[in-house]
Formats: sequence, C-alpha cells, structure tokens
Amino acid sequence: METGNIDAIVLRVNELRTYFFTRRGVIKAVDGVSFELRRGECLCLVGESGCGKTVTALSILRLFDSPPGRIVGGTVCYNSTDLTTCSPQQLRRIRGKEIALILQEAQSALNPVLTIGDQIIEQMRLHLPMDTNEARAKAVRLLREMGIPSAEDVLGYYPHQLSGGMKQRVLVAISLSCDPRVLIADEPTTAVDVTIKAQILDMFRELKEKRQMSIIFITHDLGVVAEIGDRAVIMYGGKDVETAPIPDIINFPKHPYTMGLLECLPDVAKEVERLNSIPGMPPDPSYLPSGCAFHPRCPRALDICPRQEPPLVQLSKEHKVRCHLYG
Amino acid sequence: MTETPKAIAKDRAPLSGGGLRLIGYYWRRLTRNRLAVFGLAFIIFLALVAIIGPFFTPDPTEVDFEAKNLPPVGFTITHSTYDIKTDQFITTRVSGNWKHPLGTDRKGRDMLAMIVSGARVSLQVGLLATGIAIIIGTIIGVMSAYLGGWVDNALMRFTDVMMTFPFFLLLVLIVFIFGPSLAFIVLAIGLTGWTGTARMVRSESLSLRTREFVMAAKALGAGDGWVVFRHLIPNVISLIIVIATLSIPGVILAEAALSFIGLGDPTVPSWGIILEEGQHSLTTAWWVAVEPGIMLFLTVLAFNFLGDGLRDAFDPKSSV
Repeated sequence: METGNIDAIVLRVNELRTYFFTRRGVIKAVDGVSFELRRGECLCLVGESGCGKTVTALSILRLFDSPPGRIVGGTVCYNSTDLTTCSPQQLRRIRGKEIALILQEAQSALNPVLTIGDQIIEQMRLHLPMDTNEARAKAVRLLREMGIPSAEDVLGYYPHQLSGGMKQRVLVAISLSCDPRVLIADEPTTAVDVTIKAQILDMFRELKEKRQMSIIFITHDLGVVAEIGDRAVIMYGGKDVETAPIPDIINFPKHPYTMGLLECLPDVAKEVERLNSIPGMPPDPSYLPSGCAFHPRCPRALDICPRQEPPLVQLSKEHKVRCHLYG
Repeated sequence: MTETPKAIAKDRAPLSGGGLRLIGYYWRRLTRNRLAVFGLAFIIFLALVAIIGPFFTPDPTEVDFEAKNLPPVGFTITHSTYDIKTDQFITTRVSGNWKHPLGTDRKGRDMLAMIVSGARVSLQVGLLATGIAIIIGTIIGVMSAYLGGWVDNALMRFTDVMMTFPFFLLLVLIVFIFGPSLAFIVLAIGLTGWTGTARMVRSESLSLRTREFVMAAKALGAGDGWVVFRHLIPNVISLIIVIATLSIPGVILAEAALSFIGLGDPTVPSWGIILEEGQHSLTTAWWVAVEPGIMLFLTVLAFNFLGDGLRDAFDPKSSV
C-alpha cells in the first residue's frame, strides 16, 4: 500500500462462482467472490475451513477437478485475458510463468521419485528458453535466496531428505523460478512450527518488497494476516463478506464474522480460562443457510438476515462489507 | 531467511552423492533378503549362460552317432539292444563321460548344448512377452486412471473381457490358427497377458493422480503428457518392476506347457520342447526330461524369490 502505483491492478476476480455438481447435490464452494490484486501487495484470503479459500485459489488457475467442478459465473482477469474462458494452452502458459500457486501440503507437493534439482530445472525448461546449465545455475541462485545453504548439494537430494521448512522453501523456489508476477500461497504456514513460520513470513515479506511481487496469501490465522498482509478479504460460505485494508480489519471490523474471528485471537495481556470461539460450525457448502449464510451463528442477526442475501455495502473507498447491519 | 549451519546439518541427509542413492537404498533393502539374492544370482548366471554359453558348447543340433542315450557324468545305466544277427538282446552298461557332461538324447544330441540354447530361448520368451504385456498394461492402466470418465470405463471393461478369456485355450487357438512359430507364441502371450498389469497400474495411478505433486505440477503449467511421463510413470516403476519379475516365470512356464502338449515351435529347442521329447524316452533316458525340468523349476523359483524380494524392498511399509 505504501508503494506509489497503488492502482496498478494485476489480477481482478469478479463475482467468481465455482460450483461442484456432485451426486449429493450442488456444492457452492465459491459463490460470488470479488477482489483485485495490486502490484506489490499482499492480499490475504481469510476464513475458516470450508469457506472457499482454496477453491478460490484453484479457480483462478482453473485447477479444480472438472467434472464435477465448474465455474458457473464471474471472471478472472489477468492482463485482459479472462482465465475462466481462455484456452487450455493459454492457461498453461500462464500457470507457473505468470501466476504461480503454492499448494497447501508442502510435504507432498514434491514428487518423491525426482530430485529437487530435476523438479526446479524442469519447471524452468517448461516455460523459459534455457539450457540445463543455465537453469541449474538459476536453481542454485534461487535456493540460496530462499536461505538454503549448500544449494548445489540440495539439488541432488530427494524430497524425503529435506525437513518440512526446507521443502516449503524449495516449493517457493520452484514457484519463483519463472519469475511470475503473481504468487498464490495456500496456507504456507499451516503445519509448520513457529520458528519456520516466522522464517516463511519473512521470506514472503522480502518477496513482496524486493521483487514487487503480488501475493495472494491464504490463511485462517489473523495473526499471520496482521504480520504480512496489506489488505484482507474475509470469506464465509463461499462469499467475500468483508474486504478492507488490514488496519481497518483489525481496528474497525464491520462484519460480525470478522469481529468473531478477531475475538478468537488470544490476547497476551489478558488471562483467560479458555480461548473464545465463534459458536456453531462453519456451514456445509452443499447446504448453505438461506439469506446471509452467517445468520445462524451471528450474535447480531436481524429478522431480514435469514430471508434476504445482504448486498455489498461500500463503506469507504477501500472498505466493503456484506451485511444487513450497514444496509 | 537465516538458519544456523547446525540446523542445516540436521536437515541434510546422511548420504551424499549423485542420483543413484535411491537405487542404492533399494539395493540394500533387497540384499538383506537371502532368497532374493539367491534368485538374482541364479538369474544372472542363467543370463550369462544364455548369452555366452552357446559359444562354448557344441551345436545343439549336432548328432553324435557313437553316443546315443548317454547318461550324465556319474550315472551308469544298462541298455538292452536287440541284435538282429544273433536274434538276441544284448545288455550293455553305459557310463556318462565328460565329452557329454549332461548326457545325450536318443538322437545323440548333447544335452548340455540343448539346455544352454534352451535357456536362451526361454529367457527370450520370458523377457519379450513380459515386455510386451507390461508396456500395453502400463499404457492402458495409466491412460485409464489419468483420463478417467468414459475412457476409464471403456478400457477397464475391455480389460475385464480380456480377463474372462481362458488364457491357455486362447494360446492353443492362436497356435492352431497361425502355426507353431515362436514369434507368434511370444506375441500371443504378450497380447493377452497385460490385464493384471493394467489393473494394478491403474489403481496405483488413481491414487497418485490425486497426490499434491501432480496438482502442483499442473499449477506450474505442466501439460498432460508431462504429468504422465514425469510424475505418474516414474512413481509406478517400482510396481512395474515387481509385476514384470513375477510374471516372467509364468510366461516361461506357459511356453513350456505349450511345447509340452506339442504346440511349441519344433524348430527352436526351448526347455519345453526338450521336455516334451524327453517324456517319450523316460524309461530309457530319464535325464532328457529331468534336466530341462530342473532348469525350469530353478528358473521359476529364482524369479519368484527375486520378485518377492523386490516387492518387499519397494514396500515402504515392510521392514526388511
């Protein structure tokens, strides 16, 4: 946000809807999500499990299984290309080269039978006109940048010989190998210990600042969001319920769900018996509550909430919320 | 971004070196199994015999008129021959000698030479037919799993139909129609023997397909062909090696069985052919049938031991 070209929008997601048509019914995993990603910013997608964060990320690159999944509405604009309708060939050139995605499970996102070197080098040769030696040199440089010493040795390692943190770095190195403009990271700090979490966050901050990389950071941890995010999209039941810059989200949350999430955060200053949680369960995406999906759990639900979907309310230039309280 | 050298040292694997480490790991696991080592040793020995043996043994078609039905070294048998001049049976005692270490058959052909050239034929049949079956099975299995949907359905139903054919009767029919040529026998075994492979490769690929690294490869712009050849097939290679090793003896036995019932290629001395000829002279020259039989027995056993050993070595759940 501090950067000069605030308005350089790299990726615009507009009213994206991804449904899964299963035998048990239609699962509306993503049901109308809009946001734009600006150059050099870190946009966080936040929400509980099953709220559509990961499917949103997969939908941007059309990576979900199809069938049963299908994008039933909306657009994803990158460089005036609509990724929801472009040809598979076009999409393949964009995947990895322009928009790179780091999947949730670092532990299994590397092929167990190929060496690290094979996996980085082949990724580059897939997209860039490079010979193996150039690619190798770049791979070593990238691994060093990611804070992996003796990078030459690591190239000859198999994934099982690396620790979780190292694998996460290798994955980031692979993702960065073709110098993409957008990096989507799906819960990169889940399932790693605190030390490694801090290192990974540092790494992302550095990417953003040094390379002017635009990052979509998917997490359920508002603490992480506060540390590295510029703006956040709070998701619930497949919808973006609140979009705002991080300071606004933390200090002036508008949606009751956002407030609930913030109350769940432990406070160092206070001593409590047990941590707060939002009552109830996240909704089943195949059976979303009517009206506002959050109303069964909402402490401030109105009569209208179960009956009508809340409209998107523009509170300020940067702050949007879907809630009847502000309608 | 900073990590102390100590922490890194812990991250580093105990081994250093090239990309052969994975093979080295499996090799160590395999060699802990004594039977598998015996199997492998016997197969290597057999392969050497098959490749270089024929240069040291006489021509297996060469006939020694002086020594028909000669027993192997160390054995003595009594021959009774009918002498037409005296109208009497003459009994002679014949002992094996080092000119024909494994004896000769009733035409006077050297058994050692025949066994050696039979090894060549049987191994060729085993490897070629298994190769054909494995390639077809892998292609069908991977395609079925990866493409899914109606392709999967069509290919798997085709596999089911192929499986319902009585395999051996089919072989007999093919030989009956096209004549007893070894090339046809190999082709027939290969073209019918892929069904099990296809199913196993499919089920393995189905689970691989949903693994994160396949998705990761796609997320980074890999096409279908790339995913299949770089990510799926290398991960099923261990399975394929095991299937191949375990199906070679079956193929060798199938060829021997065909030959034994008289449907083998009579121009090529496979072990099955020798065995079939030997059964007619079991009373006068038992070794002609027993020797190829022992070889078949040992070969099949060796491949099975090796296959079992490989399966255990590749299985991450077994603690060898």
